[in-house]
Amino acid sequence: MAKTILAVDDSGSLRQMVAFSLKAAGYEVIEAVDGQDGLDKAKKQTVDLVLTDQNMPRMDGLSFIKALRGMTSYQRVPILMLTTESGDDMKAQGKAAGANGWLVKPFDPQRLTEVVKKVIG
Amino acid sequence: MASSEMMGSQVKCLLSGVSDHGDRHLAEVETDLVQMNILLAEAIKKLGASFMAIHGALCIQQETVSQLLSGGAPAPECVARLEAIHGEIGQHVNAAVTGLQFQDMTSQLIGRMVTHLAGLRDMFGALGTGSSNVLPESDQQDIVTLLNCVNQMLAQRSVALEGSVRKAVSQRHMESGDIELF
Repeated sequence: MAKTILAVDDSGSLRQMVAFSLKAAGYEVIEAVDGQDGLDKAKKQTVDLVLTDQNMPRMDGLSFIKALRGMTSYQRVPILMLTTESGDDMKAQGKAAGANGWLVKPFDPQRLTEVVKKVIG
Repeated sequence: MASSEMMGSQVKCLLSGVSDHGDRHLAEVETDLVQMNILLAEAIKKLGASFMAIHGALCIQQETVSQLLSGGAPAPECVARLEAIHGEIGQHVNAAVTGLQFQDMTSQLIGRMVTHLAGLRDMFGALGTGSSNVLPESDQQDIVTLLNCVNQMLAQRSVALEGSVRKAVSQRHMESGDIELF
């Protein structure tokens, strides 16, 4: 059974590229348009990995991660940030919030797939 | 007309002119930027759809070629060449996926520019409001007091703008970014 990844990004084109790359590698991908939408979808179904942007309307990535980590079912689910943000201060905030990794956009599909495989197999 | 009246009139005219002229220009720029964002989003949507379709077609083509080759005894160099082409296509597809992410960044940059323009318009609005309080009969002390108030308003708006707009996109090229696992 294919593992499921929740991809959260307010950019439709970015979600399209993420889904295309991960589906080609055999993963199921659920898309969410911002942190709030991601949280709603995460509550309906526990996924194997969460890939989220930082700067989004309604709920940003850090708030989204904190909310997820507050849910029992998401305390051990790997969460990776995929964002244009590359500053050390933001990475530190992400790590403190509960992120397991930081990927700076733009991403290379092969490298993204390699990282996902490394994290969830 | 007394010199103080002339000064008041001139300052009023100056401030109104700066406000109206600047506001018109900024409104046009803001409209253009919003339109550019819509056009870019539409372009990337079409590019993405075309890209996926091409990739799907290539995959089917490759499967067909593989089936044809499995039926006979193709030359080893032909098989190697086809495999190499398939690998090259994969690399091109990956590069295209990386390149196509430009819209995400330009969209964030455009959004930031729109915020800056709104801040500038706000500043021009403050100038216009200040100018409406200048009367032709205002004396020099009145004008100085008014200009001081306007300057304070502008300073406050500048501080607010600087504090509210943080640059989230520092990328200046489309090479893939760093990856760090914690």
